[in-house]
Amino acid sequence: MKVKIKSWRGVAVWKWIANDDNCGICRNGFDGCCPDCKMPGDECPLVWGQCSHCFHIHCIMKWLNSQNVHQLCPMCRQEWKFKE
Amino acid sequence: MSLKPENVDFNEIWSRLRSTIDSVIVLSKVERKEWSERFSDVYKLCVAFPEPLCDRLYAETKAFLNEHVIVLNKAITAQDSATGEDNLLVDYHKQWLVYRDGVNYLNKLYWYLNQQHIKKQKFSDADLSYGCVEVSEQKLEIWELGLHIWRKNMIEPLRDNLIRLLLAAIENDRLGKSTNETVVQGVILSFVNVEEYKKKGSLDLYQEIFEKPFLEATGEYYRKEAEMLLQNSDCSEYMERVLSRLSAENVRSRKYLHPSSFPKVTSECETRMIAEHLQFLHSECKPMVLNNRRKDLQNMYKLLKPVEGGLPVLVKEVQDHITRIGLQAVCNLEGDGVPQAFVENILKVHKDNSNLIREVFSNDQLFIGALDKACATVINHRTVSKQPCKSPELLARYCDSLLKKSTKGMNESEIEERLSQSITVFKYIDDKDVFQKFYAKMLAKRLIHTQSVSMDLEESMINKLKQACGHEFTSKLHRMFTDIKVSEDLNNSFNAYCKDMKVELGGINFNIFVLQAGAWPLAQGAISSFAIPQPLEKCVTNFETFYNSKFNGRKLTFIHHLSMSEVKLCYCKRTYIVTMGTFHMAILLLFESVNSLTYKEIEENTKIADDQLIKHLNSLVESKLLLTSLAESAQVTPETNYSLNLNFVNKRSKFKITTVVQKEVQQQQEVEQTHASVDEDRKLYLQAAIVRIMKARKVIKHNSLMQQVIHQAKNRFTPSVTMIKKCIEALMEKQYLERTPNTTDEYSYVA
Repeated sequence: MKVKIKSWRGVAVWKWIANDDNCGICRNGFDGCCPDCKMPGDECPLVWGQCSHCFHIHCIMKWLNSQNVHQLCPMCRQEWKFKE
Repeated sequence: MSLKPENVDFNEIWSRLRSTIDSVIVLSKVERKEWSERFSDVYKLCVAFPEPLCDRLYAETKAFLNEHVIVLNKAITAQDSATGEDNLLVDYHKQWLVYRDGVNYLNKLYWYLNQQHIKKQKFSDADLSYGCVEVSEQKLEIWELGLHIWRKNMIEPLRDNLIRLLLAAIENDRLGKSTNETVVQGVILSFVNVEEYKKKGSLDLYQEIFEKPFLEATGEYYRKEAEMLLQNSDCSEYMERVLSRLSAENVRSRKYLHPSSFPKVTSECETRMIAEHLQFLHSECKPMVLNNRRKDLQNMYKLLKPVEGGLPVLVKEVQDHITRIGLQAVCNLEGDGVPQAFVENILKVHKDNSNLIREVFSNDQLFIGALDKACATVINHRTVSKQPCKSPELLARYCDSLLKKSTKGMNESEIEERLSQSITVFKYIDDKDVFQKFYAKMLAKRLIHTQSVSMDLEESMINKLKQACGHEFTSKLHRMFTDIKVSEDLNNSFNAYCKDMKVELGGINFNIFVLQAGAWPLAQGAISSFAIPQPLEKCVTNFETFYNSKFNGRKLTFIHHLSMSEVKLCYCKRTYIVTMGTFHMAILLLFESVNSLTYKEIEENTKIADDQLIKHLNSLVESKLLLTSLAESAQVTPETNYSLNLNFVNKRSKFKITTVVQKEVQQQQEVEQTHASVDEDRKLYLQAAIVRIMKARKVIKHNSLMQQVIHQAKNRFTPSVTMIKKCIEALMEKQYLERTPNTTDEYSYVA
């Protein structure tokens, strides 16, 4: 071999994979965080429902806690279940 | 002795009493027995039957004292005219001391009268302070009566002479001739003592008969003195002398006067010698500041401080001077070390003048304020008024140069100290957000290329910035910092994962930085397409699998132009270990089976975008690893040929190919880009501020909105009015707010 790679230090960035740019509840970007958090990242993660809709976890929890009877997805009105 | 009231003969008892008080008042010896008997006599008169004789006793005593003082007065005057006036003060003082004590004793003898008779009819404090009674009607206790009579029959007749002599005596003292201090002070204070019993206005007499003429005389004396000094001395001498006069006069006040007069005397002297010559003193400030005449400046400060309107001129001169030398120190910097020279020169100016202010102006707030204003002017000065100020960039570059590994010969604590000092400069910067942008960019480079001299220093600098400017300001920097630390853990667990799963990475020592997309100032446009070289594929795919198993819903994008590799070159006479960018490596890998390739072939295989590819090829050619058919400065064509330099030699067996050094034009472009992105951020920041204010206020006038927005932004930057206006318009377009109907300058919030 003429050239042999000894070591490699890669650089990568991560983004949320979401079907939308913004959270349907707070309308902030998924790049950003929910209104209660200071900075995006691991402290303010996204969650997906089985209906495939995606929100900041803080936003959807607030929404679910405010619902008395049925816990529905605020986007499609199907029953909300967390995607495993 | 019986305590029972009895019928008494006033005249008989009074004549006994009278002969005793004759002795008491001149402090002659009185036998104890005699004293006791007289004491009871007073009692007897006061409780006499059928009528108590208090009033009569009081009237007779008053008459006695009146007469006694008149006699004394005559004696003093007679003696005086016989021997000349010189002794008036001495005689008066002697008589006063005797009389004062005598009256005190007398008061004790009349204890019963005071207690039972006079105190009862005294007006209460309330009566006095509401002023509904005539004070002169009131009977006085015996000592009060005595003092009152002294004032009336002694001080008032002698007043003019006494004052004239006192003033003359003090003037003598000023001229350095001897005076009888005890006597002068005693006489002056007798004016206070004689009225001491009064609850209100006990200093009136002193102030009226002595203090007022004294202050006038003092003023006149020092007015002349000042004129004389001005004629005979220059400003430095004048100040020295005035200061010594002032302190001498201060001592003199304490020697002769009642404490209430001290500040008045000082202020009188200051008026005559300083306030009345302010113009002269002020005109001398400029040369003193210019020539840094510390002693003079200190004197000037001492003189001007107590005088109204005294200091501002000096403060202004100092501020102008600091601004001037500051600008001299930072303008026209050229060459390589501009950031260093800029920061260090400013720090020197700041330090020198802080010292000056501490040593000469006793850290007076006015001067500290002047220093701050001057430094802010210097630091935010724009050489070209249309262009943004360079200071934020220079300061960021200075920090970069400290925190980059290349810094030689400085240990951590030295760097730390310099970083702390750079915060001093940072605090004066108006456009803190510009600094932040530059700093973030440089920090990103340092972190990704592992060029930081120490992570501890990086962290401590971020914390310093946080302290100076708040959490929000540094949150992005913090996130970058944490990403790097989290990546370390990530690499460890990936290595463990590889071991567990028996994954082989082809003998490549692999590690990675995983960054949060939003937190890093990575130019998105610069990301080029890239065909990952086959040897790296395993690393990439395995890591992606690992990452996706660990984190849900995250998309990973490799940024190859930032990644680095270490490569072993085996085709030369010696083996070399070379650190290079991933693009370099990808290009070199193509030469595995051939020794020569065309530009087109390289491009097709690596898929690197044109501009990047040319740059990287050029740096490989420059480092002599590749040879090219291309003449220098000619355009690259698809047919341009590149071949491997099989005869490559380098003195070192380990070296590094640096990514092409940025050309000046490019650097300039980058600076402009940074400023443009700062402007974008500012607009967002201002819009957010406007919405916050509107949400709270609902309806607000234009001017007041402007003010509040400026106030909120002050900590990060100074917004331009046009920019705020544009933001308001943008928000109206987006229907966050509207003009209140039927008004011209009011906005209301649209919920």
